[in-house]
Amino acid sequence: MLRKKEIPGFKGGFNLLDTYPLRFFNIIEKVSSDTTPGIFEFPPATQKIEHVVVNLCPTEPWALPNWAIFGHRVNVFFNKLKEIRDRFFPAVQYCIALNNKDIETIAAARNFAGSEERVRVFPLDAKYPQDDSVVLSKVVLGVDINFGQEAMSRGIFIMDAQTVSAIYDSCISGNKVDSRFIAVSGTGLKENELVQVQLGTPVEKVLSDRVIEGGKYRVFLNGPLRGKEITDLSYRVNWTINNIVVLREQDYKVMFPLFKSEELMFTTNVHGEVRRCVYCNFCDNICPVDLEPALYYHSYQRGERHKARLYNLERCIECGLCSFVCPSKLELLKIIRECK
Amino acid sequence: MQIKKFLKPIEPIFNKGLDRVGSIIHAHKKVNFLFGALFGAFDGLLRSPKETAQSPPFIRNNYDVKRFMGAVLVALVIGWVLPAIYFYGWQCVISKLLVSFIIGVFVVDVLWAIIAREDHISEGGFVSCLLVPAILPPQSPLWLVGLGAAAAILFRNILGGVGYNLVNPALFSRLFLTVCFPALLVTGYQTPFTGMPDLHTFRYGLDAVTHATPLTAFKTNGEVASYLSLLFGTASGSLGETCRLALILTGLWLIKIKVVNWRLPVSYLGSVFAISVFFSLTMGKAVAPPIFQILSGGLILGAFFMATDPITTTYSQKAKWIYGAGCGFITVLLRDFTTLSEGAMYAILLMNLVAVPIQSLIVRTRYRR
Ligand code: SF4
Ligand code: SF4
Repeated sequence: MLRKKEIPGFKGGFNLLDTYPLRFFNIIEKVSSDTTPGIFEFPPATQKIEHVVVNLCPTEPWALPNWAIFGHRVNVFFNKLKEIRDRFFPAVQYCIALNNKDIETIAAARNFAGSEERVRVFPLDAKYPQDDSVVLSKVVLGVDINFGQEAMSRGIFIMDAQTVSAIYDSCISGNKVDSRFIAVSGTGLKENELVQVQLGTPVEKVLSDRVIEGGKYRVFLNGPLRGKEITDLSYRVNWTINNIVVLREQDYKVMFPLFKSEELMFTTNVHGEVRRCVYCNFCDNICPVDLEPALYYHSYQRGERHKARLYNLERCIECGLCSFVCPSKLELLKIIRECK
Repeated sequence: MQIKKFLKPIEPIFNKGLDRVGSIIHAHKKVNFLFGALFGAFDGLLRSPKETAQSPPFIRNNYDVKRFMGAVLVALVIGWVLPAIYFYGWQCVISKLLVSFIIGVFVVDVLWAIIAREDHISEGGFVSCLLVPAILPPQSPLWLVGLGAAAAILFRNILGGVGYNLVNPALFSRLFLTVCFPALLVTGYQTPFTGMPDLHTFRYGLDAVTHATPLTAFKTNGEVASYLSLLFGTASGSLGETCRLALILTGLWLIKIKVVNWRLPVSYLGSVFAISVFFSLTMGKAVAPPIFQILSGGLILGAFFMATDPITTTYSQKAKWIYGAGCGFITVLLRDFTTLSEGAMYAILLMNLVAVPIQSLIVRTRYRR
C-alpha cells in the first residue's frame, strides 16, 4: 500500500479539470451510422506483454468520464477486468492508475487488487498530461519510452475503461462491439452530452442538431490540446476517438474582456497579443518532461533550428502546455514541431 | 456583477465607435502612421484581441503580458506610491509620477513608435516610469525625473524594446543621472513625516531636509538606524524605497501569483544576509550588521522589483540562483569596501550584464552530452 508521502507524480503539468469545469448530461442516445458499422477488434499484440496499465485517470475535462462506462457499478467493471486478466494476461504485472479524488473507485480497485503482489493501485494527481503514455509509464512503471514510440513495443499495454469493457464484450461475452461512447462538449454546442456512436458514423451526423445556430465554430477530435482539427465533417468516427470538442470561434473583439473571462475562456481566442519572450519561466515550470521551451524559441528566432535539437528536443511529448500558458502567446508547439 | 450590468448598455456603442475610429485610422495611411500605435494600445486596453489559435493547442490560457505588467503596476502603487504619499505628501509624489509618465510614455515612447513605426506601445514603459521616481531622492527636481524617464525609455527602445533590453532601464537611467548630476543625487533627502497628517503635511510632508540616508550615516560615523524605523519607512531614503514593510508584502503577493520568481529575492536577500554575517564575524564593527544591510537602502525594492525584472535575468531556473547570489555578493562588497554607500543598484546592473554568459554556461553544462 502506498503511504501519503509516496504518491508518485511528475513535475509540471496543469490541472485542467479545475480550470475548465465541464458537466456532461447523462443523456446517452445512440447514433447509428448509415453504412455497415466498423467492429472493435482486440488490438493484436506485437510483443510479449509484461505490464498492463489500466488508465482510469482522464485528465482532460472534455475526455470521456469513467462513469459513462461504469454506470455507477464499479464492481461490475472490476469483475470484468478480473476475467480479462485470467483469460488473456495471467502472469503479467497490473497497474491501475486512478484519480486520487475518486475514492469509490480507489476502494474498488484496492478490493480487486486484494493481497496480490502483481496488481498495484496508483491514486494519482489528475493533472494534465498524466494520462499521456510517456508520462504514465514513467510515473507508474518508471519506464522511459520515447515520444512517438508505441508503448506496446516496450511490452506495456495501456488500456482505458472503454477498451476494457469492449474487450470483455467482444472476446468473453462474444458480442460484436460496433459502437462506442463519445463525449461531445464545448462552447459551440447547446449542451455537453455523452453519445453512443456506431463506428463509421460521420462526425457531421453526431453533431447535427447539437451545435449552436448562427455562430462560427471549429471541431476538434480528441480535445483541443493534443487532438486535431477537422474541417471535413464527413470524417468517420473510429475506435481511437474518445471525444469531440466543438469550440466557438471567437474571432471578433469584445469589450471589457476582464469582466468576461468565464465566457471567453473556453474558445479558440488566444487572449492576448503576440509579444517577445519575456523570460517568465511559465513554460519550463509547466513542462511535464522538464524541458525549457523558450530555448527552442530563441534558437528558432535566430534561425538556428539545428541548435534547438541540442536541448533534449526529442523528449518533448507535444502536450501543448507550453503554448497554452505562454503569456506572450508564442507558438511554441509549432516551433518545436518544425525544429524536430 | 453590478459593474457588468452597468456596462452592458454602453458596450455596443463603444464597440461600434472603436470599430469606426479604427477603420478610419487604417484607411488613411498618414493618419495610421501617426496614431495607429496609440489607437492600438488604447484599443488593446478596452477590448479582447480577435486573433484565434491557428495551430495546436487550440485553447490558450487567458493570461497575457498585459496582466503580468498590470500586476506589477498594482504592486508598485501599493508598495511605494501610497506610503510615499503619506511620508512625503501627495504633491511631491503625484507631480513626479505625472512628469515621469507624460515624458516617458506619452512623449518618448509614442514618438519612438511613430518614428520607428512600431505597431504597438508596450506596457513595460509604465513599469519603468513608475520605478524612475522611486529610486530618486524625494526632493529631486521635476526636470531630473523627466530626464530620467526619458533616458530610461529611450535607452530601452534603442536596445530593441521590451524583450531585448539587456539591463533594467530604470536602473540605467539612475546610473546615467548619477554620472551627469552627482550632486543632485546625494542631496535632497527629506525627513519622512510621521504621526497623524493634517492638510498641510498631507500635501507637502515635512520641510526638513537631511542629507544623510541611514547607509551614508553608517559610512560616516558608524551609526546604525533602528530596525523598526527602517522597516516602517520613517528613516530617510529615496522616494520609493523607504517603506520596506509594504514592499515586502506586495513582493510576496507577486511571488504568490507567480509574476515574480521566488528564487531571485530569496537568493539575493539570502546571500546578502549570509555574506554580511560572514564579514561581521570576521571584521566586527567595521562593516554593517546583517539585518541593517537587508533593511537599508534600495535592497528590498531592488530584490523584489528590479532584480526580478524577467527580461534582464537569466532564463534557466538554476542560473537564477547564481544570478541572485551574485547580486547579493556584489551589493555587500560595494557597501562594505568601497566609498559608495549604496551598492544594490550597481550590483543589479552588473549582474544584468553577466546574466547572458551565466545563462549560456548553465545551458551548456545542462545539455552536455
Ligand atoms: S509541448 Fe513539449 S516542450 Fe511544451 S510543455 Fe509539452 S512536453 Fe514540454
Ligand atoms: S512562457 Fe513564453 S514568454 Fe514565458 S519564458 Fe516561455 S516562451 Fe518566454
